[in-house]
Amino acid sequence: MPKFVLMLPHAPDRYTKLGEAEFMDLMKDYIGWVEEMSAKGKFEGGEKLLDEGGKVVTNKSGAIEVHDGPFTEVAEILGGYMVINADDYDEAVEIARSHPHMKHNETIIIRQTDASADD
Amino acid sequence: MSDAAAIHRLLDETVRRERGWLISSLVSRLGPAQVDLAQDVAQDAIVKALATWPYKGIPDNPRAWLRRVAGNAAIDRVRRSARELGLDESWDFTAPEEDVITPSLSDPELDLMVLCCDPELAPQDQLILALKTVSGFTAAETSALLFLMEDTLSQRLARAKRRLREQTGELARFPTRFALKQRLPLLLRIIYLMFAWGYLPRRGKDLVREDLCREAIRLSEGLMARAPETTPGHHALHALLLFQTARLPARFGPDGTLITLEEQDRSFWDDAMIEDGFAQLGAAQNSPDLTRYHFEAGIAAIHARAPSFTATDWASIAKLYELLDKHASSPAIKVNWAVSLIMLGDLDRAETLLSALAPAKALQSFTGYHLARHKLADARGDAKAAKATLAEARACMNSQSVADHIDQQWRLFGDPD
Repeated sequence: MPKFVLMLPHAPDRYTKLGEAEFMDLMKDYIGWVEEMSAKGKFEGGEKLLDEGGKVVTNKSGAIEVHDGPFTEVAEILGGYMVINADDYDEAVEIARSHPHMKHNETIIIRQTDASADD
Repeated sequence: MSDAAAIHRLLDETVRRERGWLISSLVSRLGPAQVDLAQDVAQDAIVKALATWPYKGIPDNPRAWLRRVAGNAAIDRVRRSARELGLDESWDFTAPEEDVITPSLSDPELDLMVLCCDPELAPQDQLILALKTVSGFTAAETSALLFLMEDTLSQRLARAKRRLREQTGELARFPTRFALKQRLPLLLRIIYLMFAWGYLPRRGKDLVREDLCREAIRLSEGLMARAPETTPGHHALHALLLFQTARLPARFGPDGTLITLEEQDRSFWDDAMIEDGFAQLGAAQNSPDLTRYHFEAGIAAIHARAPSFTATDWASIAKLYELLDKHASSPAIKVNWAVSLIMLGDLDRAETLLSALAPAKALQSFTGYHLARHKLADARGDAKAAKATLAEARACMNSQSVADHIDQQWRLFGDPD
């Protein structure tokens, strides 16, 4: 079955301003969704990305430059990604619609993985 | 597991239990003066650990996972602030207890519970401290459980923690063995109080806070397993908790309304738990001193064994209430005693008891008192008084389910409005 990556961006200060109880409630929504999708065989896996820092490595005419994050000018940072199973983009979009990220944040970016080279 | 409510419950309970475990373990290492730090560190560590579950799902053994990951995070955090706090930097979370001179019970939760049961603290402050530290409830949960404003709760908690900090004697360092014996009655009372709060909430929608009941049983079991010796009173208390809990499955209707003992489907009772209760009661009998738990467990045991409400040994129950009232008199006990007399058909004696209680102000807001008077009027065939007493019961502050039940009774006696 085709795999889709759901990228989950959020505003840089989305979680830092939350109280602990609110944060835990939010986590419960996400965890509940992942458990539900896992039970349906739709959830493949995911990784949370650490909020602090990050680096950018650039090639400036042959000279490699390394810059530290955070990148304060960005409107959103990538909080993590999840991989799901879906027949096509229509189903992937349907799954994303039910994602608690749509309740607690604004955007999910969906990309299908290229499985053509897989066995 | 895909049921959202079940997942929320699992998470709440796991997190709460592990928070309690972390706080207790940290306090046992850092000393009672650092309860605040222990609470902060435990909460931070749990939040941090939990933040990865949305991307991974719940681990196969969430408790072990949280204990490991949150435990490591807690070590890091304490090490980082060790210098400024004046703590030993070689502080090691996982070092085994080696001190043979003051053998610990090897159970930080029990140690902390002994500390919480400080005779200088009011029982409710002991309870607050125990719920907030040993049992890992949050401030919001604790205040909701005890119907306290969060401000009031934090004041009382601060006072209790100040008291812990001021303890400098032997107890502060080695809170276990010798203190345990001395404080056992207080420990048992805290467990009893915790259970009673869970079993008989006076307000709110939840009929029973099962988590609180289970926590009381857990603490009682932990205490029984690790205390150097168990007392008959403890066995009696444990029997009481088991008998009461065994009846919980029959106490709710499908729509969440209260089902009284009289109307319960007894096939829903947990027979295995009742058997355990009788085993505990057996162990409790080997005693020269009878505690209030003996009488209460005895009453619960008679109910547990009765084939039906009417075929209950009301004579023994009335006798036990009489003994209990002699031992620890209270208006609530007298009310229940009167109900057992009504069931026995001794209406005059029940009336004498209830009439003697009539001037007590606090009872006017006690639903059980008015319901007992209702039962008496009903038994005497006095429909007018039965209706009036039911109205008084309804006017009392009740948990939603109890109020629903009274409303239902009310309809039998005429329209409420």
